[in-house]
Amino acid sequence: MVGTTSGYEAAVDQFVTKMRRRQVVGSQSSAKLTAELLRLVVSHQRLPSSGQAAALIEAVKAVGVRIIAANPIELALGNIVRRVLHIIREEDVSLASDSILDSTLDSDDEDEFGNVARRSALSAVSVAAATRNTLRAPSLYNLLESVPGTAATQVARVPSATESEARSRSGDRNLMSRKLKHNVIEAITELLQEIDNCHSQVAEQALEHIHQNEVILTLGRSVTLREFLKEAKKKRSFQVVIAEGAPRYQGHMLARELADVDLQTTVITDSAVFAMISRVNMVIVGAHAVMANGGVVAPVGLHMVALAARRHAVPFVVLAGVHKLCPQYPHNPDTLLNDLKSPSEIIDFGEFSDCLDGSPGGSRTHVVNPSFDYVPPELVSLFITDTGGHNPSYVYRLVAEYYSPEDYVL
Amino acid sequence: MFPAGQLASTCHPYMIIAYRAGHKMKVSNLPVTEVKTGLDIPAGGVTFEWLRQAEDASLHRDQEVHTVAGVYGGQPFSVIEEFNFWRGKPELAEAVAAIKALTAVIKRSEASTMMGLEIELRNASDALKAWDETSISLTAGCNLFLRYVTRTSAVEYEDIAAGKARLIERGERFGEISQKARRTIAMLGQDFVHDGCTILTHGFSRVVLALLKLATANGKRFSVICTEGRPDNTGAEVAKELLSVGIPVTLILDSGVAYMMEKVDMVLVGAEGVVESGGIINMLGTYQAALVARTMNKPVYVAAESYKFARLFPLDQRDMSPSPRHVDFAEPIPPEVTVENSARDYTPPQYLTLLFTDLGVLTPSAVSDELIQLYL
Repeated sequence: MVGTTSGYEAAVDQFVTKMRRRQVVGSQSSAKLTAELLRLVVSHQRLPSSGQAAALIEAVKAVGVRIIAANPIELALGNIVRRVLHIIREEDVSLASDSILDSTLDSDDEDEFGNVARRSALSAVSVAAATRNTLRAPSLYNLLESVPGTAATQVARVPSATESEARSRSGDRNLMSRKLKHNVIEAITELLQEIDNCHSQVAEQALEHIHQNEVILTLGRSVTLREFLKEAKKKRSFQVVIAEGAPRYQGHMLARELADVDLQTTVITDSAVFAMISRVNMVIVGAHAVMANGGVVAPVGLHMVALAARRHAVPFVVLAGVHKLCPQYPHNPDTLLNDLKSPSEIIDFGEFSDCLDGSPGGSRTHVVNPSFDYVPPELVSLFITDTGGHNPSYVYRLVAEYYSPEDYVL
Repeated sequence: MFPAGQLASTCHPYMIIAYRAGHKMKVSNLPVTEVKTGLDIPAGGVTFEWLRQAEDASLHRDQEVHTVAGVYGGQPFSVIEEFNFWRGKPELAEAVAAIKALTAVIKRSEASTMMGLEIELRNASDALKAWDETSISLTAGCNLFLRYVTRTSAVEYEDIAAGKARLIERGERFGEISQKARRTIAMLGQDFVHDGCTILTHGFSRVVLALLKLATANGKRFSVICTEGRPDNTGAEVAKELLSVGIPVTLILDSGVAYMMEKVDMVLVGAEGVVESGGIINMLGTYQAALVARTMNKPVYVAAESYKFARLFPLDQRDMSPSPRHVDFAEPIPPEVTVENSARDYTPPQYLTLLFTDLGVLTPSAVSDELIQLYL
């Protein structure tokens, strides 16, 4: 069933190596590369005559598990894999219900007032309802409809049930197989465009949030944030306070970039955030990932900023493209795995060589250089995504919109 | 503001929303007859469904008198006895028993239309709800099933026999659905239990036990602190159950929650009912455990099946039908002393971190979403 290989195997290997070596930086570019890779996988996958969606899901999952393992900290990879799986499921269901509707239209033509037509129309409605139910996340609404069984059989059942329904009705299997693939590829291309446009989509909302003469505080550097501030600068004049974001000091770079568009910026040390926060109108930051409960995985230091903002009742706004939205809850220490960077960013080896690891006196000094903080949802005032502003308590709805519950665990 | 149980006895669940929203709407153009039934026109104008339900509601008023022990099919049959029969089974939750009892009503029904069947069911469920007004999951189960019947009959079945068969089949399988729900919750929730953590639990909940047992079966090592759970001694029961699968247990007094909280990593409780606000109604003491946990920044997790979601919106602790429980005090107390002995309390949603349900892990705000989907 999965016999076809090599078509994309090399590309996957290359991707995995790149990810493992951390050669791709930033969740947007990772997300984009993942979507492109999965498009390749889908287009190269040879599909069997039955259970195509299942085969496609299987193939994407197999690749997905590998690339997630290559860089488990970049949650965008897993998000895109799940998005693509959701796309496949969705396209499959819409194809199945389309073909059923077609067949009922045919029978209507043959026998306009006959019993047969009416019955088939009726069953078509119920089948369509059933397929819709299979795609929908479990809810109180369809609790009584659901068929008991273990989760595993349910996952297997979903595609096969719709498939068999479709098979019994649609005449041309071959056409349908090409159609499924074609639709999925088209949807992935749309997804790619969405990832490409996410900065501008987020930036579009800048004027609603930034007002004349406001003071904005941020920490470190984020591309989404830069575009957001630049967009606001077109119509408003305001000030930005940038905490430098030790030890990578990306705040310096952001200050430079903003100065180039004539934005008034003040650079402060990270430790001066609390001193400055009382003069600030709003904190706006970029995120690494947004968890399903509304918690944020963000560059290190942001939890502290969020707490300072809460202390002075300053709104804490997080910018995030939808590809950063992660359907998992931060229960698992694995998902919150921090990238521990090289200690050389913090101290020079020469200064401490006598008390670091490997020195004759033993290792008395440890240097820890984590890259992320987890900011709990209570501290976040607002998320601004490509689809608009959302409350942290609304994130679960976004998750339900973009992912299938079967794929939460791959 | 109004417990669903009270209102539902006079009108259909759908009408509660109309009734609540009623004060915002114009009532001047209402015909007099409709005002009498206590119904207001829904915001979207008069729809077909609304008219039908209004008709149902007025029909149902006339028949209310002889509901409690109705005679179905010639032989006496009491829905309450049926309910008690099912409730006697150890593994069945109250809501499941209620749905089984209502299924039995369908089986015996001789109604020739779906509408007639619905009315019979509504009467039976009102009888059940009136019989035990304090039980939230009973009310929730009845409402859930009635809602399902309304939807099924409206959409899919013109043929009464087929419709009935379908309803009976669904009703009978609900036991399985609820078993599955418990397994799903255990699966979802056990991810939150990690090695070396200490869990505080309060009250006896089969879901919580299932969750903890699954976690330990998956090789997680953790310990549990359970409260004594006076006056029902739920703590002793929980401790026995947990010890049987090798989970270390510490038993504390109900008043020792704050004392122990610094050692606790998370609070995990079940729920008797989950209300529209996303808060829970559970054994007395849950509220205070949640408050202490919030003060000490510990997460509070709730494990509850989705059929416990109830259309209630308690505004404070006394905004529920009271459910007193007999309490024995060691010292004889003079009769002048008032004893406040509620068996349960309401924990507002802001003190809950997440709810583990068979619909997935939900934030408290997601609960009302699910309820709106079902009832609106």
